[in-house]
Amino acid sequence: MTLSQERQMPSAIFVLMLCIVLLYLLPLGIMILNSVKAYDEIMKNVLALPEHFSFKNFSIVFQDMNYPLTFVNTFVVTLIGTAGIVVFGSMAGYKMARVKTRYSRLTFIYCITPMMVPFQSFMITLVVVAKLFHLTNSIPGLGVIYWGLGVPMALFLYQGFAKTIPFELEESAVMDGCSQPRLFIQIIFPLLKSVTASVIVVNAMWIWNDFLLPLLVIGGSKERKTLQLAAYSFMGQYKSEWQNIMAAAILIIIPALVIYLIFQKNIIKGLVAGAVKG
Amino acid sequence: MAFTDQNKRRNTKELKEFVGYVFPAIVFITTFVSVPFLMCVYNSFRKWNGISKSTKFIGLKNYYKLFTNDPTFLHSLGFTFLYAVCVVVFINVLALFLAVLLESNIKGKGFFRAAFYIPNIISLVVIGFIWKFICIRVFDQLAVLTNDPFWQKSWLGDPRLAVVTTIFVSVWQGLGFYLIIYIAGLQSVPGDIIEAARIDGAGSVRRFFSITLPMIMASVSFCVFYSVANSMKMFELIFSLSGGGPGIATTPIALDIYNTAFNSNNFGYGSAKSVILFIIVSTISVIQVRFFKSREIEA
Repeated sequence: MTLSQERQMPSAIFVLMLCIVLLYLLPLGIMILNSVKAYDEIMKNVLALPEHFSFKNFSIVFQDMNYPLTFVNTFVVTLIGTAGIVVFGSMAGYKMARVKTRYSRLTFIYCITPMMVPFQSFMITLVVVAKLFHLTNSIPGLGVIYWGLGVPMALFLYQGFAKTIPFELEESAVMDGCSQPRLFIQIIFPLLKSVTASVIVVNAMWIWNDFLLPLLVIGGSKERKTLQLAAYSFMGQYKSEWQNIMAAAILIIIPALVIYLIFQKNIIKGLVAGAVKG
Repeated sequence: MAFTDQNKRRNTKELKEFVGYVFPAIVFITTFVSVPFLMCVYNSFRKWNGISKSTKFIGLKNYYKLFTNDPTFLHSLGFTFLYAVCVVVFINVLALFLAVLLESNIKGKGFFRAAFYIPNIISLVVIGFIWKFICIRVFDQLAVLTNDPFWQKSWLGDPRLAVVTTIFVSVWQGLGFYLIIYIAGLQSVPGDIIEAARIDGAGSVRRFFSITLPMIMASVSFCVFYSVANSMKMFELIFSLSGGGPGIATTPIALDIYNTAFNSNNFGYGSAKSVILFIIVSTISVIQVRFFKSREIEA
């Protein structure tokens, strides 16, 4: 290949990629298109543009799903879950990076092993344990269960990063009479903020979109549904009224999409950090 | 004497501090992972319906039944392996291919990367509906418009085609994640080595297989590992896309565990299936780590 040919390559690839991306996201386009149509329009032709553009489907779904309540439920679960994972993961990860004894190493291995255990291989008895602690059928309870499931990965990332923080800073703080809780909150935790950003974004996206654990723990309860549970019961309720289902899908996607667009850089950084260290 | 005393005191203080920091993490991991897991292993040797307090020890009967008298489980095992192999191969080859294309200095790289990642931020349940809609309504419409037998087929109704559909949708959904990891891997390959190879007359295909691929082995091993683990435990997407059907054609192990425990109320037997899932996933993980560790090259 000559040099001039290699220079032309990028623009050819650009056009090719553009076509691939458009085709790739076409299903989402079809979803948007059909969410603003009426039922008989979908039956007539799914691919045609809407004759009467309307947001009626959205208002029906908004009420039927009790969107504000479901949204708040999902938000609370995500907040409780993510907050606990960040706090307990950073505390343990930091200390395990600092203390270099045998028991520290053993506890570290014990704490990260769950990353290898598939959730489905202990979900049956997790429900039994959750019932025992009265965590089932409760939104905060659901959030608490995520602590156990999310801490291993967070702890692993924090431990890896805390190893690179210089020791001297803490030594001089301790010399100056800084207490342990203050040392961690005011000095260490701010230093860990790049990992914290990744941990927040990755865990928040996971908890927000998770379906299986809420299904097991919350199940049929009407007032305590999360968005994903509401989505699923919707599917059964509306069967072939696809315009409502597509509108519901969009309402459920929007919050995650907003988070993604705001934190896009952190998400990508977080994924890469997790992958390279993992 | 005084010295050792002081040492001891410092050690206990250090231990106390350590416990203070680590305690909550250990408590939650133990409560929500370790204890349930051990309970699962324990229950897999017992008969238990999940409701009654009394359970009965029946030895290896659950395991025996799994492999001799449960066609549903054996089918789900077969489906899961087929599904996992196909998804892992397609997703990694496609992601790597697209990553290489994107890394060839084209405009709007960030945009493309972000666009491919979008299906990843949508929950699997919703992805399931969207594709169900496409398979039922849109394909119908295309069949009318084009009269092509390809669209006339029942992509979710025919047992064989439903398997193809679940694999296709899974690859579509997950691709963006692997793409990002591969792009990061490609960016870490030093440009001067590739430049040197080019000057020495190596073509682009040769450059990729002899230099780039060995240099990004860490990314490859992570992606293969992650995609295997993920497809072995796939549940949500299939639950909403095909519901495991038609019949049991697309029921993966995880869904079979769920059905056994929560629909048939057979907790003991479901636990035995869970243990098998754990053994499979951890065996594959160990083999993979061994295999790839020997092939990694530090950049």
